[in-house]
Amino acid sequence: MSAASLIGLTFLVIGESHMSLPTYLINPLHDDLTKQGAKVFSVGACGASAGDWLIKKTVSCGADRVGNQKGEFKGRDATTTPIAELIAKDKPDVIVVILGDTMASYGKPFPQAWAWENVTNLTKEIASTKTKCIWVGPAWGDDGGRYGNKFGKTESRVQFMSNFLAKNVAPCTYIDSLKFSKPKQWPTLDGQHFTVKGYEEWSNAITQSIVNLPNIQQTKK
Amino acid sequence: MNLTKTYAFLITLVASSVGCLAHAADIALYPTGPSQDSAFVRFINGMDENLSVVAGETKAKIALSVNEPASKYYPVGSKAKITGEFSNGKVSSPISLTVKPSEFATVVALANGSNLKQVIVKEQPDDFNALKSSLALYNLSFAGCPSAGLLVVDRAVSLFEKVKDGTLQRRLINPVSLSVQLTCNAKPVGKVLDLGPLQAGQRYSVFAVPAKDSPRIFFAVDTIAR
Repeated sequence: MSAASLIGLTFLVIGESHMSLPTYLINPLHDDLTKQGAKVFSVGACGASAGDWLIKKTVSCGADRVGNQKGEFKGRDATTTPIAELIAKDKPDVIVVILGDTMASYGKPFPQAWAWENVTNLTKEIASTKTKCIWVGPAWGDDGGRYGNKFGKTESRVQFMSNFLAKNVAPCTYIDSLKFSKPKQWPTLDGQHFTVKGYEEWSNAITQSIVNLPNIQQTKK
Repeated sequence: MNLTKTYAFLITLVASSVGCLAHAADIALYPTGPSQDSAFVRFINGMDENLSVVAGETKAKIALSVNEPASKYYPVGSKAKITGEFSNGKVSSPISLTVKPSEFATVVALANGSNLKQVIVKEQPDDFNALKSSLALYNLSFAGCPSAGLLVVDRAVSLFEKVKDGTLQRRLINPVSLSVQLTCNAKPVGKVLDLGPLQAGQRYSVFAVPAKDSPRIFFAVDTIAR
């Protein structure tokens, strides 16, 4: 990965809980994209599904980070912001959506119609602004965490969710996080949220994938 | 680093680690999806005159003209009873149905002499795909076409075959421009229907309904109301 591969590009990264706490993905990914030359806006909202990014919805925790500033981390006063508002405010060249675990319905029957409607509504809203879009799917979990497998994440369901997203996020480009590690390779705290090491490796793999995407290379021209 | 500073450093390190872990543990247990899947209902005018649908509770009215015979799909509560009526201004037909989670229900009004009748067809699709178009053939032509199909005009390709009366078939196809013709018992009938350029990720339905001489077909985009 050559340095400053994303120079001149503005990125808006939105995501679920993985983007919402200081030791999670929000800081290493924001920093890695910034090191590649991008101007980065990051927004996280715990438990938010794709459709929640079309409205303002109160969530249990969240985060905002702009450029080289430190992140602002929120508790129960956190909300989602409609993606159209974020795009109008931040004027990104590229949107990165990090979303999958919050829609996988772990421990329950998979709600295909609901997931399809949610994903499609968000991708259509992004596409209507003609902003390039990348969707990062969920990574493997590990049920041996300090807090057990709190969310009931299973390998079979995360694989199903990833396959579903791969088929349904177009025109966003899909990044399959399951290819970045083996099941249980990245240790977790609670079956779903990784330790610092896991988030650093996930961040590095996402950044490398983004830099190598042909449509990102074309955006720079 | 002297001993006092080393202890202070270690205490700070441990405290911050515990803080991080505690913060992670404090993350609220949020649902990773709904307790039930979504469900939808739409209304179709399969007649050759204008109709309307009036919702039972809200009395909201949806116009279903001959030129725009399909409503959008409306989200409904799973297992909730949906009531209303079709009306052409002269006669009406009460609507009453329930829709299960994951179901897409289609309620079609058809002529029954000088009265109205209706057919309810439900599907639970699992073919969602943003890179393809999804096309369905609903055979609601009754005795006029007991085994329906759909032929791609000029390509001699059959999209659907042997769709029994009162049922539907659905399949994924490439998002291209298509003109199609209904087949009954494998023989082409009626006029050619231009579907125009199909869009990737979009879902479509072709309806075969009774008409004077032979069954006719019309086309609808399966849009979800927001």
